[in-house]
Order: sequence, then C-alpha cells, then structure tokens
Amino acid sequence: MNIKITYNWLLEYLDTDANPYDIQKYLSLSGPSVEKVEKVDDDYVFDIEITSNRIDTASIIGIAQECVAILPQFGKKAELKFNPLDEYRFSRIPDGGTDCLKVKITSPKLCSRFTMIVLSDLEIRSAPQFIKERLVLCGIKSINNVVDISNYLMLSLGQPTHIFDFNKIKNLTMIMRESLKGEKITTLDEKEITLPGGDIVIEDGEGKLIDLCGIMGGLNSSISEKTKNVILFVQTYNKQLIRKTSMTTGQRTVAATYFEKGLDEERVETTLTYGVELLKQYAGGKIASKLYDIYPHPYKQKRISLKTDDLNRLIGVDIKKEILEKIISRLNFELTSFKGNSMTVTVPSYRQYDINIKEDLVEEIARIYGYHNLPNNLPPPAYVKQPKEMENLFKIQSKIKYFLKHAGLNESTNYSMISMEMIESLDLKVTDHLKLSNSISSDIEYLRTSLIPSLIRNIKSNEGKRDALRFFEIAKVYLPKKLSLPGEKYKLAIAINTEFGDLKGLIEILLAELNIDNYEIKKGKNSLMNPSVQGEIYVNGESLGSFGVLKSKYRIKNQLENDVYLAEFDLDILIKNYRLVAPYKPINPFAVIKLDLTFATINKMPFAVFRQKAFKTSKLLQKIELIGIYENKVSLRFFFSSTVRNINQEEAEKELEKFKALVLG
Amino acid sequence: MDEAIKKLHHDFIDQLSHIKSLSQIESIRIDYLGRQGKINGLFKKINEVPVNQRKIYGQNLNVLKKDVSRLIEDKLKELAESEEKERYVDTTLPGKKYQKGSLHPLTLAIEEVSSIFEKIGFIRVSYPEVEWEHFSFEALNMPKGHPARDDFETFFIDQAEDDKYGKVVLSPHTSSGQTREMHRVKTPPIKMINIAKCYRPNWDVSHAPMFFQFEGLCIDKGINITHLKGTIDYFVKEFYGQERQSRLRPFHFQFTEPSFEVDISCSLCHGKGEIKKQKCRMCKSGWLELGGAGMVHPNVLKAGGIDHQEYTGWAFGWGVERVFMMKENLNIEDMRILYSGDIRFLEQF
Repeated sequence: MNIKITYNWLLEYLDTDANPYDIQKYLSLSGPSVEKVEKVDDDYVFDIEITSNRIDTASIIGIAQECVAILPQFGKKAELKFNPLDEYRFSRIPDGGTDCLKVKITSPKLCSRFTMIVLSDLEIRSAPQFIKERLVLCGIKSINNVVDISNYLMLSLGQPTHIFDFNKIKNLTMIMRESLKGEKITTLDEKEITLPGGDIVIEDGEGKLIDLCGIMGGLNSSISEKTKNVILFVQTYNKQLIRKTSMTTGQRTVAATYFEKGLDEERVETTLTYGVELLKQYAGGKIASKLYDIYPHPYKQKRISLKTDDLNRLIGVDIKKEILEKIISRLNFELTSFKGNSMTVTVPSYRQYDINIKEDLVEEIARIYGYHNLPNNLPPPAYVKQPKEMENLFKIQSKIKYFLKHAGLNESTNYSMISMEMIESLDLKVTDHLKLSNSISSDIEYLRTSLIPSLIRNIKSNEGKRDALRFFEIAKVYLPKKLSLPGEKYKLAIAINTEFGDLKGLIEILLAELNIDNYEIKKGKNSLMNPSVQGEIYVNGESLGSFGVLKSKYRIKNQLENDVYLAEFDLDILIKNYRLVAPYKPINPFAVIKLDLTFATINKMPFAVFRQKAFKTSKLLQKIELIGIYENKVSLRFFFSSTVRNINQEEAEKELEKFKALVLG
Repeated sequence: MDEAIKKLHHDFIDQLSHIKSLSQIESIRIDYLGRQGKINGLFKKINEVPVNQRKIYGQNLNVLKKDVSRLIEDKLKELAESEEKERYVDTTLPGKKYQKGSLHPLTLAIEEVSSIFEKIGFIRVSYPEVEWEHFSFEALNMPKGHPARDDFETFFIDQAEDDKYGKVVLSPHTSSGQTREMHRVKTPPIKMINIAKCYRPNWDVSHAPMFFQFEGLCIDKGINITHLKGTIDYFVKEFYGQERQSRLRPFHFQFTEPSFEVDISCSLCHGKGEIKKQKCRMCKSGWLELGGAGMVHPNVLKAGGIDHQEYTGWAFGWGVERVFMMKENLNIEDMRILYSGDIRFLEQF
C-alpha cells in the first residue's frame, strides 16, 4: 500500500536538517520507498510505499521514527521533538463518566483490544484550516470536523478509528459478533452489502447491524450535521477476518488496508487519548462516559538475542560494536545486554509482529548500516551437477525450437488453461481435465491435456491475416491422477493450414535433424484427426504421436475456413532418441544412375510397403525420392549404384522392371 | 610456305570477326591453338620447308601463334564486357521468398537468462507447475491464513486435499522449486536457476493469468548479502550492459530475511532522474524496479532439510516478461498480447 504525508506535518514530530529530497533519497535506500515528492505551495507531499510487515510506518509518527533511524547514517540530524506514543496515555483522560453502554464481544478471536469513550455536546462544523489542508494534500476529502479528526488520527498515528452517533445506538447496546451468511448492512457509502458470513460486525441488540467492523460503519449510526453526542471507537481486529470480508465484499477501504495487516494494540491507547483531545479542542466535546478498554492479553515485552558472529556471517562484513549500538538505539530497540559477542534487545510494541527471529534483527541492522555500503562479490565457485534429464530437456528443446523456426514456423505460447467450449468443440471429455476451482474467466477454466485445441484457436484467430499459417508450441500438458499431482508431460505440437505434404516434410526433416531414422509409420488413432488421413509414428517401437488432418466435423464446428494439418508428439520420446550425429557412412565413389517411374495406382499399396519390398528386391537400390503427386499418380526417382564397381544403364533398367512387377503383382 | 601462314592468318581474322558468343570462342581456340589445331599442323610441316628457310618459317609461325592467342584474349574480353553491359538486375527488388519463422520473445529471454547464469555455475532445473500448497506456501514460511494463499491471489485446483501437503494449486511463483531443489540436492552447494510458468488470478492490461518467472537460489557455507549483491550486479551488467548499476533496497517477503527490492539504474538518465534539468520520462528518480530478492529464511532452509546453523543462502524471483521488456524497450502496452497467438505479433521476433 502507499500513503501520502506532508513534509511540514512530519516536522511537527521530527527535528531534522534534511530537506524533502534528502528524505526521499535516504529513506528509499534504507527504509520505505519514497516514490514521489511533490511541492505544493510551501509544503511537500511524499508518496510512500509501505511494505505489508511495516504497517507501523504508514503514519506521520512511523515515518518520523524511520527518519530517526536512517538519516544520521547519512550525516543528517534527526530526532523526535516529542513522542506521542509516550505522551498520549490514558492517564491524560480525566475520569468521571458513567457506564452507559452495554458491550458484549462474543469471541475473543474477533478483537484483540476494544476501546471506546462517549463525548457529548459536540458541534459539527468545518475542521480547522490546518487539518483540512493537510488531509487534502494527503488525498483525503474534508467533510466536517468530526470525520476529519478521525482521518487525521489515522494518518498521524496509523490507527483507524470510527465515530458513531451515540443517539442512534438503540438500547445502548453493542454486541460484537460474527455475521451470519446473508445478513445485510448498509454502509456509510449507502451501499447495501450482503455479508458472506463470519465477518466482524456490531449489532444493536435487536438484530440490526450498525458497523461492518474495520471496514466501514453503518449508515444507520453515522454522524450527521445534527449529531450532538458521539462514541469514539478504537479497536484492533483479527486481520484475517478483516481481509476476507474486505476482499469478498469488494469494500477495499483505507481502514481495511490498515486492519488487515495487524495493528499494534498499544497504539490504541495513544490514538484514543489523542482523539479525545482533538474532539474536545476542535468540536467542543465533553467526556460523557467511562473509558471502555477490553484488552485480554496486554503486550508483554519481547526479547531477541543475536550473536555478532551470526550477524557478520549473514551481512558479510564486520560491523563495529559502537556502530551497532547506535543503530540499535536509533531503531528504538533497547540493548539489555551485550556480553562478548552476544547481545539481547527488547522489541518495541509496534514491531512485535514483524520482529520474531534473529534474522529479523539482522535485517534491521543491515538496512540501517546501508546495503549500499556492502561490496559486490560473486559466490565462491562450486560445481553443481545438472541432472542429465534436465540438461537434455532444455538443450534438445532449444534445438527443436530453433530448427522449426528456421523451417519457417512461428512459435506460439498459449495459456495452459482452456475453456469448456474448446474442449467440447473437439468432443474431448471435460472430466479428463483438471478444473480450476476459482477461475476468473470461463476462457481459462481447465488445464489442457493436449496442445492441439490451443493451436486450432491460433489458426482460427489468424485466418485472413496471412494465407499460410504454420504454428508450433512446446509446452506441458497436465494429466490428472487420483490423489496426487497430475502428470506434467512436455508435448510438441504443430498446426498448419497449407497442405498435408508440408506437414509430412516438416516431420521428416525434424526427425532427420535429430538423427532419428529408425522410425515407422502405422495407422493413426487420434480422435481429432480424419482416420484415413493420419499416421502414428513409432520410434524403436514406442509411439511418438500422431499427425494428420483435423476431422471435417471439427473444422466445421470450429468454423475454420481451411483444413488444418496437425501433429502432436511426446517431447521425451524425441529427447530419448536424439543423437548428436548419425553414424558416418563412407562416400561411395561409384557411378549413380537415376531412373524415374510414375505409378498409376500406388495408393493400393502404401508407399512404406512398396519401399520395403523394393529394397528387398534390388541390391543396387540406394535411395527413393518422391518427385511429385498428381491426382492418383505418384512419380518416384530411384537411385542405383554398387559399392564395388560402376554399373551401367541396362542393369539399372532391369531393376526398375522388377519394381513395376511389384506394384502390378 | 609463307603463303600458308598468311592464309591461315587471314582465315582466322575472318572467322574471329563472325564470332558472337563465348562458346564459339572456345571452338575457334581449339581449332587454331589446340594440340591438333591448324597452327600445330603448320609446325608439323616444317620438314617440308627448305633448311635455310626453316628458321624464318618457325619465327613467322610463332608470331602467328602469339597473334592468334592475343586476338582470342581480346575477343574474350570484348565479349565478356558486352555481356556484362547487357545484363541488369534491380538489386533493390525483393529476393526469393523464404519463410523466416519466429521464436516467441519469451523463449529468447529465457535462453539469454539461463546462459548468463550457466557461466557462473548455476544449473537450470524444472519443477511442477501444478503444485501442493505445501511447496508453494508452508515450505516458504507462509502459513495458513497468509494473504497470498487466498482465493484472490492463487488459483486452486478442484481436487481433494492431501493430509500432508494440502490443496493443489497452480504455482503462483517459481519459489515453490526452492525446497524441492534442497530435497533433491540434500547437501549444499546449491546453485539453481528455475524458469517456469506461474499463475495468478489477475487478467488486465498489465497482468496475464499466466506468466514466466526465473528464480535464482544459492546455498552454501558462508553465503552472505555481498554474494547476492555481486550476483545481481553481474546479471545486470551482462543482461543490460556494463554501464548499468544495481542497488538493493529494503523490502518484505515471507521467505527471505532480510528481503530486498532490486533496482537498476535507468538507461535513459543513467540513475540521475533527470535529463537536461527535465524529469526523466522513463524512471522514478533514476532507478527502475527489477524485482525481489533476499537471504533464504531459516524456516525455508528447515523445510528443505538444510541445517540453517551451518548453511546460508540467497534467492531471487523475477518476472521474465518485465526483465526482458526493460532490456529491449519493447514497450508492450498490453501484456496479454504475449499469449494471444497473433501472427502479426509473433512474426516480429
């Protein structure tokens, strides 16, 4: 979260010779990041990022304390002029009011400290000029003196407060409890909110909700121009419940962003005390009740011990004892003992939730010492063996990607999640897919078990943009397993809209590039592809995957203009059979005779069968190439040669005659 | 015999004058100068020449031979020149169309990042994307109830909870690989770089629900903040250029202590925040945020089965998209285009 505060307001607490830009620079290096400084009239507005563990710094006093810790390290003076945390104690509130409100808290887990006090005879008017101006500079709208004081308290001390109209509390009863599912409350912004249940609320004893605690007050108990008597209400709530309510109801109020981080119970006292003073001074209020303070587990001082060896071991440089002592005291930690290399410090209450272990203390010391004062060193050399399967996964994957890119394909990266519509448009089973239980869109609800649905989408969405579309993707698919994590399997998929021969050629040259030659093609059984235009590739007896044309019914269902030619392979089979080089064959010095032949009806016999028979029949046959396909005619070129002598034309032609017989027979 | 030489000379000149192409030249050359050519034919007839005239005859023939050679050479040159003059190609016309193809920009980024870390001994690993809550949160010191674990920050899988490991999630960060790597290696040194898809339920101009992170993890005896600073500075200089600076600022993460935000100096204003007294339009006061880092929290080491008294370590986890775009000034205004599969985007890389 970010807060805005002003330089002049800060100087109310802080005595320093640092200018606003010094503060920006030095705080950013050693503490909260001051993202912007803006000069407005004779003041400067800081925009500061507050990390979630340091909600204590989301206030004027918090930033003043950071300045005290940080600025002296840069040679700047920084001291607190006065410390409200010490000054504003309950002892300043005169005793004497009555016990006029009945309070019940149904569960101790809701609220770690509950305080309130009634003030009477207020006059609702405009807030004093300095409060109005400061709030406006800090981005908060000025409403009236009472509301403005509430906001002023929050920015000064980092503790949100709420102010009720006392006269609107029926029965003079407050029951703090968890809401029931479906209960309704209309908040100050006039929104009616239906509660999810388990939210911290206050009920007036008759079932009516008057406060959505920590988030926003109820409209029915809010102050108006006619308000005379108020309840100043200061609490610390269960941070998880606040966050849950705020997120599920969408009421992301500033108060909620404070409470959901977990606030210091001790600061409740300061805030209420300072609040009473401001309401007395600027709204004419008089104390009209006893001080309510329900605080079942008061803060017990926390101690942390640290050995300087451990400190230096983690920081990497030795910090001198005097410097260490100064840093610790500027952080408002108290050094209770420092013997030998061992020290013990007490933790201030507002750091009780973020300082838990010695490493937390190391961080405090190191950041104030200054990360910029530490040298840059590479870690000492040490060999770590990369598992071969991980090395191959990345190395060969990269080879395949570059090869396909150079073959003219475009790599696509799609979401791992797809829609039910995509699954159903290909008649895949929805129940075969892992489902997100909290998806944010029906487009990304199921984890894909194949890359093909995504690539079909890619073809579809690019139709008309380019004539020839040729995509590939290498990614994981997720195969559900009972009672365990899914199988995550890398696939390579190709989708093109040109022609079958284009796809087949790409597959052949990819396998050649990886030096995989011992493969055979059998009839494929991929449910997405036309059964008579698909093949399944087996490498050393293992299925690599299928290639073919998308079934016409899916083309029509997906409203594709052209046929889509698809292939999907298991990446691990490619990796397993990859070879860096194929075995070297000596160059044959003897003449090669090339003869062409066109078969009219080779489709009666699959080429693979013919090829196998041809090689069996002829000892001189070295290679067969496809020249072209025209209607049902296939033209082949045969390469004949001997490895021991030169052959002549007649010998080659004799061999060719045998092939004709093969096809006819 | 002089007559024969003169006639041959005359015939040659005549034939040469009719020659129009480079192939005809070769045949006339063989005809006259070849081993079986006309000039050698006359040389062979030297015996028929009276003895006292043989010297002159030989000299004349040699003159003829040189002449013919020279004329052929000249003709060749002339023909070559005229052929060159006849040819013209507009070299500004496009060539034959080849499909160039493309790799996804994130593939390029990932390769670059892993090769930089490989040089200093970091190995790339791969861990599950669909992960147990345990490795994504508990093991990273984020107990139940931590805001990062709620429905608004993490995708959950509709599957039965495991007694030991909790629910199944889509890993919201590569940090889930930290304790997995610790369990795999068992005894440090550990130097890993884990680059993977991550998922979070945000989908707008600056967020895609799927994105890539890269995670560095280094654990050994005596690893300290200076080693993290040094490694980050090394990466920044290798990836962005030697003139770039890096710095650490305090930050907060559950799984590191101390925790840092890493900044790099702006490439436009070189860390000054202004150019010619004008505010730099690229950065906040001279620096750009790169991502988070920190010293591995002792609870994380414990969860990974590493003795935190003996070993220390650092880790960082950054978004590949962000880091890459800051390098190349890609100025991609809408992150979602990376995963759109739009050919007009893909083919540019």
